[in-house]
Amino acid sequence: MPTVPAPTIELKNVTKIYSTEAGDFTALKGIDLRVDQGEFLGIVGKSGAGKSTLLNMITGVDHLTSGEVIVRGNGEDTSVHKLNEDALALWRGQTLGIIFQSFQLLPMLTLIENVMMPIDLCGRYQARLSRQRATELLTLVELEDHANKLPAYISGGQQQRVAIARALANDPPILVADEPTGSLDSVTADHIFDVFEHLVQERGKTIVMVTHDNSLGPRFTRHVQIADGVLTEMTEPAERIKRPASAKAKVRRTK
Amino acid sequence: MKPRWRKVFLDLIENKARTLLVVLSIAVGVFSIGVIAGAYAIISNDMSASYAANHPANIELRMADFNDDVLTSVRNMPGIGNAEGRRVFSIRVHPLNSTTWTVIDLVALNDFPTNKVDLLTPLAGNTNPAKRQVVLEKDALKQLNVRVGDQLVFELPDGTTQTMPVVGAVEDPTTGAGDFLAPPFGYISMTTLENFQEPDLYNRVYATVAQGQDDAAAISKVAGDVKDRLVRSGIPVDRTLTSKTHEHPLASTVNAILGILMALGVLIVFLSSSLIANTLNALLNQHLRYIGVMKLVGGRNRQIFIMYLTLIVSFGALALLIAVPLGGQGAYGLAAFIANELRFNLLGYRIVPIALVIQILIGVLVPLVAGLVPVMNGSKVTVLKAISGDLARAEGKSHHRGPKHESRWEKFQTNVTLALSKRGIHIPRPLLISLRNTFRRRGRLLLTLFTLTMGGAIFISVFNVRVTLHDYIGAIGNYFKADVELDFTQPYRTHEIQQLALQIPGVQSVEGWQGLSADMLRPDGSTIDSLNIIAPPAQSPLVQPILVSGRWIQPGDERKLAISESALSDFPNLKAGDFMPLKINGRKEQWQVVGIFQFVGQEGILAYAPLEYISQVNDLANQAVLFRIETTQHDRASQDKMAETLDHYFRAKGFDVLQSQAGLASLDTASQSLDTLVTFLLIMALLTATVGSMGLAGTMGMNVLERTREIGIMRAIGAVDSIIMQTVIAEGMVIGLISFGLAIILSFPFTYLLSYIVSLAVFQTPIQTVFTFTGYLIWLALILVLSVVASILPARSAARLTIREVLAYE
Repeated sequence: MPTVPAPTIELKNVTKIYSTEAGDFTALKGIDLRVDQGEFLGIVGKSGAGKSTLLNMITGVDHLTSGEVIVRGNGEDTSVHKLNEDALALWRGQTLGIIFQSFQLLPMLTLIENVMMPIDLCGRYQARLSRQRATELLTLVELEDHANKLPAYISGGQQQRVAIARALANDPPILVADEPTGSLDSVTADHIFDVFEHLVQERGKTIVMVTHDNSLGPRFTRHVQIADGVLTEMTEPAERIKRPASAKAKVRRTK
Repeated sequence: MKPRWRKVFLDLIENKARTLLVVLSIAVGVFSIGVIAGAYAIISNDMSASYAANHPANIELRMADFNDDVLTSVRNMPGIGNAEGRRVFSIRVHPLNSTTWTVIDLVALNDFPTNKVDLLTPLAGNTNPAKRQVVLEKDALKQLNVRVGDQLVFELPDGTTQTMPVVGAVEDPTTGAGDFLAPPFGYISMTTLENFQEPDLYNRVYATVAQGQDDAAAISKVAGDVKDRLVRSGIPVDRTLTSKTHEHPLASTVNAILGILMALGVLIVFLSSSLIANTLNALLNQHLRYIGVMKLVGGRNRQIFIMYLTLIVSFGALALLIAVPLGGQGAYGLAAFIANELRFNLLGYRIVPIALVIQILIGVLVPLVAGLVPVMNGSKVTVLKAISGDLARAEGKSHHRGPKHESRWEKFQTNVTLALSKRGIHIPRPLLISLRNTFRRRGRLLLTLFTLTMGGAIFISVFNVRVTLHDYIGAIGNYFKADVELDFTQPYRTHEIQQLALQIPGVQSVEGWQGLSADMLRPDGSTIDSLNIIAPPAQSPLVQPILVSGRWIQPGDERKLAISESALSDFPNLKAGDFMPLKINGRKEQWQVVGIFQFVGQEGILAYAPLEYISQVNDLANQAVLFRIETTQHDRASQDKMAETLDHYFRAKGFDVLQSQAGLASLDTASQSLDTLVTFLLIMALLTATVGSMGLAGTMGMNVLERTREIGIMRAIGAVDSIIMQTVIAEGMVIGLISFGLAIILSFPFTYLLSYIVSLAVFQTPIQTVFTFTGYLIWLALILVLSVVASILPARSAARLTIREVLAYE
């Protein structure tokens, strides 16, 4: 029998309970989830369904109440829930690229400096190579001409592409995106999806993305539904949509 | 530059107002300490060095007239190094173009160029005056408002005048150095004495000791021996003054005052550190999201910690750039001011290494210590808390979802509002917002209140100390209740002077007093110090002593005296009833101390004994040298006028008047010199108030910045500019008024402490503390103005924000 490759991300019976004045609130109820290498997984759910909490479990931003989160990246298995804050920071910097709805760029730094920041903090590349790498990544997202601008002077879609470039700075195998198109118009959002698909198909990245927009389901290689802390529905990887080759090869410039 | 260091650099220049606030907070403390530490070092060194450089006399003998033979014998006495004779006498003088008389002391020297003791430093013109020429000390030039080359008119004992030119100017840091109330000095050659109708004789010996020039006991021993020998030779010595070569006589007083200023400087550093802590806390709160982002992209605690620590050190470095040069200038300025007041020279402008080191340490360490906790908390904050921007959670409270419970304080506020409204008292909503906002960030409020309260308490205390000092000087005036002090150069019959004086309209009563010089002795018979005994009639209403213990003098007292508290420095265990060995007119006698009284004196120890007995000792029955006159008018101007009238009147009748001066003259001089001290204290108080108001401005700025969204909401529901501004300003005033209430409470212990320390430094004795409303009222007005000023800028920025801006605020 052929051996099944180990998943890149594996959640086993993950439960998260918040203690409140009104009593305990269970945000995640025994979640089991596997994400394989090269998958573009969508986690879809309404506001308060627990999707961001689930993402926080994978990134180690929040602590689980019970269960296990294992991430396999850069040739190592990491039990995320067992790392302390400092070890998590370094691990995240090297293994995960995180993208937010509100971009979260540092407003005082230029675009290229924002992209260089993770390289500087994790020391993954030599200092003299970091500017070169940041320039390459900005070229990838077609923003090399704006490299020395401040985030306030580019559009939301452009800011999100810088955030993607920053997420790729240390060449992490996994990208995690929390509603990355939530504050963008539909055309711009479409372009961001193009970038993600390119990264999955051309660069072999694994992407986990959270969204409340049910209609985006077909754009993922697989998507799961979450409601009241329970994964309710899954689509199979076979439903992966096919995009024109031109869209994969070229990331179009957005406004 | 690596992105993280570029971020640190940009953080530094991004918010200029905040950077300026932090840098100025640090700079105020560094500046204060720099000024005081620098001045302390310069004065401690230069005061004694410049004093020693002019070869000060270790022994000064004020005695009856003597000639060169006596001077030669003094020079040959054992233990004497150098000795010079001089004649010192008081004389009235005015510039040719003025008619206002000033009393100066003229010093006649034998040979200016070969002068070896109490050297004069030439400043301008010819400093070796020929016959009928005068050289003035620089203070005398200033006081008389004359220049080298001007003519001076002197009043001679017979009432005639002599006009002489000022040919040169000198500086004399040694003569009268122990008395900052000493009159200005002029210098003439011995050959000019006859022009002043003075005998060609000396009346003072200025001598150095051969060995032990910095050994007080050795100097005192030689002085006692010399005096004994002179008295045995039939030359009475009125007073003996001793001092060390390398210690300015006022060094301990000046150092004590600088010590008080240093304590206030340390307090300012302390206050500014709480301001720094407040600002850095706010900065870290504002940067929480950035910290979260950096942690998300791989930043570890240590890296974040070092980044913000570097930011803090940069604030310190900027503060040092401002405060070190200013502090150096300020230190020299303060030292120069004190040097000028006390008539000594500085050795030139210089950077004081120890002050520089202290400034650098404070500039770097204080912000580091103040910022350590906020930076540690900030760098340790979890990504979840940082990204969510929930400041309450970021400050370490447990994470809750769902509704929070009201705190007791919040319940209390709501209940108070409800209770008031039930009684028909409706607080306007904007004011209600101000009141509740005040208590929202309690940690920040406490630090702001701390700085403002301390500033206010010190400010108020300085005013109380000022009144305390003046009250004491006023009480000392009880020893000088006469309106005019008329002193003659020889004794006259008391009855005759009384009869003549009473003919002048306005004169009510005249008392004749005598004086007696004595030496206080050790058990072995050696001299400790000289004692100046004043002898008013025992029942004189012109002396109302402040007794510390025992009783005042009585008519029947024989060999009994009341002595000033300053004697306790020589006799720590002295109490009323004790016997004290004295040497009077060469005879050793036991006198009983019947009482100890408070007195402020810079020169020597004072005692009172009844005229009834002292006139027997002096063998001057019904005669007196010193006359104390009471008049109908007691103000300074009337006293001055009467002193002038009496002076002319008695001179016209052929009496040898030494001087005639207003009773308030010496008190006013003493008050003026105390005002100099109070000015310094007030400057320090204003610095603390400045730190306090900077703290308030910073707090208001931070509060407004954090509430941008709320301000937007207020505007969205109809709040106009003036309402927004009123809300912010009212909050500032509430904080100001709370701090005022606390400052009132704190001002009491502060006043007691400060007046205790100052009085010990200045008077060598604790004095009764007095309170005044002045400081409280001025501080109330100041704190209200400061509160409004500190709130106006943040209030204006708040009012200027548009709804779109605040809703976009992240």
